[in-house]
Amino acid sequence: MPDESLDHFFDRLVSGEPISRRSVLRRMAASGIAVGSASAFLAACGGVEGSGSGKEEVDTSNVNHPKAPIGTLVFSNWPLYIDEKVIPGWEKANDAKMRYLEDYNDNEEFYAKVRQELEQGQGIGRDLVAPTDWMAGRWIDQGYAIPIDKKNVPNAKNLLPSLQNPPFDKNRDFTLPWQSGITGIGYDPKKTGRKLNSINDLFDPEFKGRISMFSEWRDSAGLVMLGQGVDPSKATKAQCSAAIEKINEENEKGQIRRFTGNDYTKDLAAGNLWACVAWSGDLVQLEADNPSLEFLVPDDGGMSWSDNMLIPQEAKTPYGAETFMNYVYDPVAAGVIAEYVNYFCPVAGVQELVAKKNPELAKNQLIFPDKATLDKLYAYPSLSAADERELTAQMQKVTGA
Amino acid sequence: MSLGGEAAAPRGQAGGWLTLRRRKSLLPLALVLPGLLWLIIFYAVPILSQLWISLQTGNPDDGFAQTWNWAIYADSISEYSEQMLRSLQYAGTATIACFIIGFPLAYFIAFKAGRWRNLFLLLVVLPFFTSLIVRTVAWQTILTDDSWITNALKTIGLVPEDGRLLATSFAVIAGITYNFLPFMVLPLYASLERMDRTLVEAATDLYASRWTAFRRITLPLAGPGIFAGVLLTFIPAIGDYINAQLLGTSQQYMIGNVIQSQYLVVREYPTAAALSFIMMLVVLVIIAVAARFIGTKRLSEAAVA
Repeated sequence: MPDESLDHFFDRLVSGEPISRRSVLRRMAASGIAVGSASAFLAACGGVEGSGSGKEEVDTSNVNHPKAPIGTLVFSNWPLYIDEKVIPGWEKANDAKMRYLEDYNDNEEFYAKVRQELEQGQGIGRDLVAPTDWMAGRWIDQGYAIPIDKKNVPNAKNLLPSLQNPPFDKNRDFTLPWQSGITGIGYDPKKTGRKLNSINDLFDPEFKGRISMFSEWRDSAGLVMLGQGVDPSKATKAQCSAAIEKINEENEKGQIRRFTGNDYTKDLAAGNLWACVAWSGDLVQLEADNPSLEFLVPDDGGMSWSDNMLIPQEAKTPYGAETFMNYVYDPVAAGVIAEYVNYFCPVAGVQELVAKKNPELAKNQLIFPDKATLDKLYAYPSLSAADERELTAQMQKVTGA
Repeated sequence: MSLGGEAAAPRGQAGGWLTLRRRKSLLPLALVLPGLLWLIIFYAVPILSQLWISLQTGNPDDGFAQTWNWAIYADSISEYSEQMLRSLQYAGTATIACFIIGFPLAYFIAFKAGRWRNLFLLLVVLPFFTSLIVRTVAWQTILTDDSWITNALKTIGLVPEDGRLLATSFAVIAGITYNFLPFMVLPLYASLERMDRTLVEAATDLYASRWTAFRRITLPLAGPGIFAGVLLTFIPAIGDYINAQLLGTSQQYMIGNVIQSQYLVVREYPTAAALSFIMMLVVLVIIAVAARFIGTKRLSEAAVA
């Protein structure tokens, strides 16, 4: 799309930030304003009749995707989320082609775009998509995902133990993490004048109008719950709701400048924000140009999440998708991606490989967190679909829409 | 259809289906058909489907069912009246600002720009060559807390020392004004440009002051252009959500932001549909009142301006 690349270019121009990874497009997209979102918006405006629940129990015990010619594999991933150098390796080994699309800009937006096909039991023209944990859970619950034939993915054994049994997919029958990340606090100690160590520091009246949070409740309320001593991964709906209410109070006081998607990076780099809820990979990148910025995993804890590879219903080549999963779970390919993407790498054995070439990067806690950091990380709450909807609606109220 | 061939057929043939008279009465219909189909497919059908969706109840995970839930209209209005009023207020303020900026500009281009006229018109339209989002993001940069504009305004005391420009109502209204200015300038220019300037000369010859001549001659003749400009600015501005999203905070969100979030995030399609419908009705009422007030002749003149 010419418009998108123009935005892209312009963004680089005005922000003076180098373009890298997924942050640039995502920062606009996550707040629902990317150029592409207009089409999703239109798609979402379509009829909603007969959107009966597509719930069907998928049998995961007996999955068999025998070897077959792959042809072209279509992968929709987040923008700037891969080093494309790794793709030809897979193409050669499997005598196949990949169409790599960077059109997964936002979980809700992408879902809105393909919802009607999914509801009618049709394919969406992709063999792999990359939803975040909670959204992957929605796809699985609705029966929109094809289970993985684990025989085709022997390298899945390299998945970090801490990521092996997420609540939305207990045995990783449907998903494998593409990249993971940490949600914590990004801040500029020069502006705040002191080191921060808790999410509650964001509510310091000194910082009034200089902080931001994500408009999506899972990260924002998750951190607030940690500040209240609640474990978000085990939180009840009432606890989540109370955390959102706390955010509401602070917002009404004028403490919170904006609720953002990925667009916080621009405000933070420009100095409009002094501290904000932030994603680890973005800060690794921002720090390169703004050395005064810091990413903090609060002492009370941070949130961790993954964007997961998932095979959507009616995919043309589940076998091809599985060979690709297997390929990127080889530490060599995973290392190339990790060096480019700077998010938290879900594949074991990569750190050792990267250490040989780039020892500085291998020590980065945000890409290769050690046990002490991992122990401070918590998963998103796992609640019923109805509860999630109510909390989403409550948070949207708080954010003014 | 081949008109020539038909016309060559013997007239008044008793058995002929397409008699001349019938053909004459069918022709306008045939001419109007493409437009009519366009309206039906892209206007009537979506509106009816919107209405149909708005009356459903349910949830996105288990599906929606038609329950003729008319109460949703009252509920949506009471729930989001704040954002609706804000939309009207912001769009109204921006329209007035556009007029204040746009009228002198259009006047200048029409009467004073001479051979530079086309260049100036091009400059007015030029920003449209980049996308709305890009233009608005540029304003984010211009209005940042440490920008020279903000600092200059702080120095002269127009912005308090701990204040800001970005993420305020001012920024949102300024953004709307900027983004919609050409919609005001172009119709104003069109109506001023075809004005008969000798009327002003005649007025001044008859001892009208320049101001009186302007008030009694220029302004009324620019009426259709003013009306078209106001509608073209005000109507899209009500539904705008980009400016509030990029330049505002949750306290500046407009009804467009609510509709977008209801569709894409909360997935409450009926509420979103109802809100869209209400917004459309509000706009229709405004146009109807304006037409009543100004007269339909003026309205159609405005439409061609």
